[in-house]
Amino acid sequence: MRSYIHKTFVKAIGLAIGILLLLLLFVASIAWGTTPISFQTVIESFLHYDGSSDAHVIIQTTRLPRAIYAALIGGNLAVAGALMQALTRNPLASPSIFGINSGAVFFVVLALAFLPVSSMDQLIWVAFFGAGVAALSVYFLGSLGRDGMTPIKIVLAGSAMSALFASFAQGMLVLDESGLQNVLFWLAGSVAGKDLDGLLPVLPYMLAAGILALALGQAVNILSSGEDVAKGLGQKTVLVKMAIAAAVILLAGSSVAVAGSIGFVGLVIPHIARFFVGVDYRWVIPYSAVLGGILLLIADIAARFLIMPSEMPLGVMTALVGAPFFVYTARKEYRAKGAAQ
Amino acid sequence: MNRLFTMRSKTGRYSFLVDRKTVVILTVLFVCTVAGLILSIQAGSKTISFGDVVLTLLGQGTPDNKLVIGTLRMPRVILAVLVGAALSVSGALLQGVVRNPLASPDIIGITGGAAFAAVAFITYTAGAVSVRWLPLAAFCGAALVSALIYFLAWNKGVTSTRLVLIGIGVAATTSALTMLMLVLSPITAASKAYIWMTGSIYGASWENVYSLLPWVLIFIPLALLYARSVNVQELGDDMARGLGASVQLHRVILLFISVALAGSAVAVAGAIGFIGLIAPHIARKLVGSAHGGLIPVAALIGSLMLLLADTVARTLFQPQDIPAGVFTASIGAPFFIYLLYKNRNQ
Amino acid sequence: MIRSQKWSWLLIAMLLSVAVLAGCGGKQQEAAPAQPAPEPTKEADKQDVRVIKHAMGTTEVKGTPQKVVTLFQGATDTALLLGVKPVGAVESWIEQPWYNYIKDKMDGVTNLGNENQPNIEAIVSLHPDLIIASKTRHEKIYDQLSAIAPTVMTEEVHIWKDTLSLSAEAMNKKAEEAKFLEEWSKKVADFKEKMGDKLKLQVGIVDFRPDHARIVYTGFSALVLDELGISRPMNQKGEEWGVKLTSKENISQMDADILFDQTSTTRDDGRMDLRKEWTEHPLWKNLRAVKENRVFAVDTAVWNNGSGPLAALGMVDDLYEFYQLK
Repeated sequence: MRSYIHKTFVKAIGLAIGILLLLLLFVASIAWGTTPISFQTVIESFLHYDGSSDAHVIIQTTRLPRAIYAALIGGNLAVAGALMQALTRNPLASPSIFGINSGAVFFVVLALAFLPVSSMDQLIWVAFFGAGVAALSVYFLGSLGRDGMTPIKIVLAGSAMSALFASFAQGMLVLDESGLQNVLFWLAGSVAGKDLDGLLPVLPYMLAAGILALALGQAVNILSSGEDVAKGLGQKTVLVKMAIAAAVILLAGSSVAVAGSIGFVGLVIPHIARFFVGVDYRWVIPYSAVLGGILLLIADIAARFLIMPSEMPLGVMTALVGAPFFVYTARKEYRAKGAAQ
Repeated sequence: MNRLFTMRSKTGRYSFLVDRKTVVILTVLFVCTVAGLILSIQAGSKTISFGDVVLTLLGQGTPDNKLVIGTLRMPRVILAVLVGAALSVSGALLQGVVRNPLASPDIIGITGGAAFAAVAFITYTAGAVSVRWLPLAAFCGAALVSALIYFLAWNKGVTSTRLVLIGIGVAATTSALTMLMLVLSPITAASKAYIWMTGSIYGASWENVYSLLPWVLIFIPLALLYARSVNVQELGDDMARGLGASVQLHRVILLFISVALAGSAVAVAGAIGFIGLIAPHIARKLVGSAHGGLIPVAALIGSLMLLLADTVARTLFQPQDIPAGVFTASIGAPFFIYLLYKNRNQ
Repeated sequence: MIRSQKWSWLLIAMLLSVAVLAGCGGKQQEAAPAQPAPEPTKEADKQDVRVIKHAMGTTEVKGTPQKVVTLFQGATDTALLLGVKPVGAVESWIEQPWYNYIKDKMDGVTNLGNENQPNIEAIVSLHPDLIIASKTRHEKIYDQLSAIAPTVMTEEVHIWKDTLSLSAEAMNKKAEEAKFLEEWSKKVADFKEKMGDKLKLQVGIVDFRPDHARIVYTGFSALVLDELGISRPMNQKGEEWGVKLTSKENISQMDADILFDQTSTTRDDGRMDLRKEWTEHPLWKNLRAVKENRVFAVDTAVWNNGSGPLAALGMVDDLYEFYQLK
């Protein structure tokens, strides 16, 4: 793919602009909502917090956490998507296509139905586990066979596993109508109504995986030039692949665990990142992180204004943007290749 | 003796090659389905003896049995058989056309379109329009979305890879829209919609049976007539063209048949999953992949599966009557994973 | 070869005709029960036949039905109030099989399973002479139910006075209904009188779920509160059932003089954690009701799920207690 920025210097500037935009949106996300708050108040609330002011309370207890969530999770999912696309050499790979979301959701519903789980904190771990199970099984199923992992096999294995998990979860939900509504919002993905305590248990994993992802940039470049080439260049491909897989599960799993299924960020963003900086993963990964954060912040701001005072589930917002993009990519990527197959 | 039969129409335009094994298997499956029907009619909150079932069918039963069998169990088991057959044949055709064993109406978006339309119907008409129209809405949804998928996949012809991927993308879009409606809808509508999305043949009536029957009677035989074309499609586009098949035309016809079957089945029974995926595979294991034998065998296996799932769903958890879709998934899932493993080298 | 060909076509033709016959056979089967043969009971002509209009059309009910089946929560509650213990009823949403507030009256009633998909065969074996259902839930099975016994359907499940009036009419219990309504209006009048100015205190209904909080605008409890003349905040009325809140910054939307919290406390699915989080939030502490210490936790079975006259009476009793009347 041709990139639109060639020079390293310009790429760095671009990244800086991206980070600036991210910060601006971060502040906007804090200032805008059902209760209008001025930028000045926002700054005041950080400098001298006044617990008796509703605005200050709102900023510190609800807006700030959700802005952090949106930025972090957007970045995580986008990086996870970039790594998955590199690892599977499949432009359509992403956490939601891999069935990671529905795997997590299924295990949460299962736990609610059969285990003595009562708090969101415990559910986070259940979701984490489910995400891991789903990712591993899709990877395993998709790479079975002599021809290894082909894009269509992965996508089909992922959607089949999703369908499986979803139908199980639905079955259990049908049996308990009053319990049903309660998980719907979570199923659809949201970053609202969560405080930072919920983030703490998974934050170390997110950060560790993020750093791992950044460090892997060069190795991913080598790997994506082909497995044989990589081996020839002396890369321990199995080790690299395992590291990538671990980073993906940690990034995507922890995101799904705290925010429910927010699909398609991981699919769309890496494409946009590659559009800017080409296939050099040393740049694609940080660009993805920043762009993912930007996308999710925008989506979350829009989600609160569309049906006030209620909110659109964030996962629905991203899917409405991302799914058509998936169709577009599928059309584009397989225009030439498809005919030959 | 000849191991193979050839069945040929008078003009010689359509022909099948059916081997003896297939005929034996078909017969066995047919007997099983009939036996399953009878057993399923007997089973329920009150077991009815075989003798009484026969008496009732002859019009001599007690009023209770007439009611239970004539109004409740008969339409339900027959609908299960029809829906199972339709979904399974639809899946068999799709897998043939797309040349991928993991394709099925629920995975490549046909069912998703129906679900979207059905949930919209449930949410936005909210009782103002009779629920009788729900199947029509669902069917239109399936048809429109399938047409959309085909249209989007079109680029100087439709390749199977693009068809699958675009189907999955469109399925994701419709499911996001469906989720959106569910979140915004009143509570009662959401629970109704969820049952529909799981798939259930609870409360099946003769009316449902009559509305599905013509589709099954027209399109399954039609699928049989075009079986040879599926065989050719499975060879791949180049080979098929080489054999003189008009690939694109036949592909459209086969997809149309597949959509008609899946759409009509899903319309009356909701989004019952996995049968369209798994039944054709079992059939292939039994009789190989020549579609002349595959289609009827798949139909019977689909029928048996749904009949079994629904019988379990309505008898095992008395007094609860559980949507059959829950069990098609649990019967289908382990088998599905086995299949992926088994077919790893194909 | 030619022989086998013909034979195969014959087989297919047979299969088809079997399928068609099965369908036709069914048609005849259907014709019989669709018009339930009038049971040649001797008192049939003596009994009055009442034509009842309901959500699905009209239904004829003879005499005073003795064996009633109720297919939604409000109908069960109503039947009990009218002095008829149903022979079968659908399971409650919580506290299965029956809500605590009616449990002692439900001895020996057959559990018909989930309200969304009641077990029809179990209904047949009860030989009911009246079925009370709801169009919202049971529209699809109206014909089947009608084949079993005369069936009447309400439009909604929560509009309790409609449920009451339709059930009373169908069960031939108009006198009992009138008696209840008289008592009820006395009770309402008494309540309003004793409340006096307190009626102006605005009341909000909230409900915490595992991942969001709700403000309830309409629904059973809102209907009862409205009838009692209790004021509600302007922003908490509307056509919609209510609103789901996911962000705590919207807590101030809940503002009212008095809050009734109808969270279901018997479920162990995280909603108690959410309630704790929200009610410990500074914005919650700024709500008028919270400052005045007028937040009351209520029994969700009575305030939300029950949706019948017994539940309404239970609500009024609760209200007397909360407002310290008497």
